[in-house]
Amino acid sequence: MEISETPPPAKAPRSIPGKIFDVLSGFGLATITLLLLGLLTWLATLEQIDNGLYPTLNKYFHWKALYLIPEINGKMVPLPLPGGYWVCAVLLLNLILGGIIRIKKGWNHVGNIISHFGIILMLAGGGVAHHFSERGNMAIVEGQSSDTAEDYFEYVVEVAEIKDGKPENIHVIRGKEINDLTRDRLRTFRLPDFPFDLQLTGYLPNTVPVSTSERAPNSGQRIADGYFLAEKPATIPPEPAEQFTAGCYARILQRDGTKSEPFILAGASFHPFTWREGDRIFTIDMHKRFWPMAFTVKLDKFTAAFHPGTMMASKFVSDITRIENGGEAKVTISMNEPMRYEGLTFFQASYGPPGAGPNQKLYSVFEVVKNPADKWPEYSLWIVAFGMLVTFMIKLVSYIASGSRKKSHV
Amino acid sequence: MAAPAHFRRWRQKLQARALTLPTAVRLTIESTPSRFHLRGSWGGRIAACMKIRATSLFASVLIISGCEEKKELTVTETRPATTRDGTPKLSASSDERFRDAKPSPVRADTPAGWLALPASQFRLLNYRFGESGTGEVWVSIAQGSVLDNVNRWLEQFDAAPVDEAGLAELPSVTVAGSPGKWVTAEGDYAGGMGAPSKTGFALAGVVTSVGGQILTVKMIGPKDEVQAARPVLETFAKSLRLAE
Repeated sequence: MEISETPPPAKAPRSIPGKIFDVLSGFGLATITLLLLGLLTWLATLEQIDNGLYPTLNKYFHWKALYLIPEINGKMVPLPLPGGYWVCAVLLLNLILGGIIRIKKGWNHVGNIISHFGIILMLAGGGVAHHFSERGNMAIVEGQSSDTAEDYFEYVVEVAEIKDGKPENIHVIRGKEINDLTRDRLRTFRLPDFPFDLQLTGYLPNTVPVSTSERAPNSGQRIADGYFLAEKPATIPPEPAEQFTAGCYARILQRDGTKSEPFILAGASFHPFTWREGDRIFTIDMHKRFWPMAFTVKLDKFTAAFHPGTMMASKFVSDITRIENGGEAKVTISMNEPMRYEGLTFFQASYGPPGAGPNQKLYSVFEVVKNPADKWPEYSLWIVAFGMLVTFMIKLVSYIASGSRKKSHV
Repeated sequence: MAAPAHFRRWRQKLQARALTLPTAVRLTIESTPSRFHLRGSWGGRIAACMKIRATSLFASVLIISGCEEKKELTVTETRPATTRDGTPKLSASSDERFRDAKPSPVRADTPAGWLALPASQFRLLNYRFGESGTGEVWVSIAQGSVLDNVNRWLEQFDAAPVDEAGLAELPSVTVAGSPGKWVTAEGDYAGGMGAPSKTGFALAGVVTSVGGQILTVKMIGPKDEVQAARPVLETFAKSLRLAE
């Protein structure tokens, strides 16, 4: 007997875009990215012990970090790794392509799709927070008010005209425009509203002005009016980046082309530099970026409680009055109960002064966060939980239904 | 060995556009073609990797050449005046700007090896010392009594407080012409503000009452560094004098 076999129909070769889609939406890529994220998080946790939290977060998870070389105990680990931001971006793409588009559709998979959507929302929220969130702090002494938060890290240079003793027409040169002016790099900042321009150079991210009478400057060190900028010594453990005090050298460029003597702008200064042009008075200052709020916060009362016999805080509570357009609202902010208002979140962060003595007036410090994706992680967790619940319920119903079918066959 | 056709075309384009590349980059590109002629299955893969590398290098050069340093910028960003702005002190000298040289109630000679830092609201004199860079010395005017402040310092190290009799037994050091109490402690330092405690730290300092005010000289730092710097601190404390 002759058996004729019909060969199976040959599969059409996959196109290159198809292959790329398969890789990008594949489970293998998801596994690799998740393993990489775990590895990056672990290495960053170890590295921040030596290098500080902020620089390490930037090194591992900033969007500008395409790749990185880890360092453990100050020694370089010869293992180039992709930046965490881009690993998350690849995972996001993988989840959209694989977990939403490529996944089998049908009632059995509804729960998985919902869960994948929740994770996508969380990753997208991380990206939104990375690019669009702002963080600062607001310190208020009991009985006083503030309408301004201060950035944690960014030092800016501000030029203002003084009228009736108050600064007006305040122009801001942002940190990203000055923090590359290290050593002899020099940039001129044109100020069309003022009768002069400003030239900045010699930026140092963590420095203090030192008098030449206190310490001899290094060879070739710039000196301005008897002071020079000395880099603060590296500390063990590293000084937190929010305590850095930046500084740079400046000159006034007048419209007739003449230059002023150099002067120092420093985060660790008490008063601004003053420049007079005829009858007009101007100030030039460097400080952390001020972040004006749309409302005023008055600290009515601050309460700190500690665990018995320790300096470990058990409770910080700030009773505040929020003042806006003549209206007032009483709010209590405590360690786990922030105030959310007009897209801003006020967290109870700390208090001061350090080592405050008996009867000393305290101030309360709030962390102010503006994050458009503030609640996205919470929403995503609810979505993931709902998706898993749906998956579980479908499985349960299928199991019960199959059990009853079996019984009916007996 | 002849370069592959696509590389020759790329090089011609490069030359046609008269791109100026750093010598090192030019050398790399010139030397790359021979690597494209690796044989065998692995050779093909390696050659492919090399092609990718050459392309990446070319792209990097183009990107870097686009990042020209800005020599001038026009400032357009402004902000409104806030409660933080207040009334600035005008025409302040460098000493006033960087040392807050308002009449300070105390003066001292900066010991060799210490770094004088700007004074602050709560630190009339402010220094850093020690190899780790974490050692701090500051002089303050405090509230309360000598006993209150001694016990506050001890509490920061979780040490047992002293009573009046215990206070009298503490060593005495003359500060600004007045007898002060020498306080030491070591262990975990909790400075307050919700900051985590620092392990292996030590305290040395003096609390005294001068003209009805409590004057404190406080040294905080890693235990070894504080122990080594105690004699210097004592000399420093003795050198303190009230401003005229």
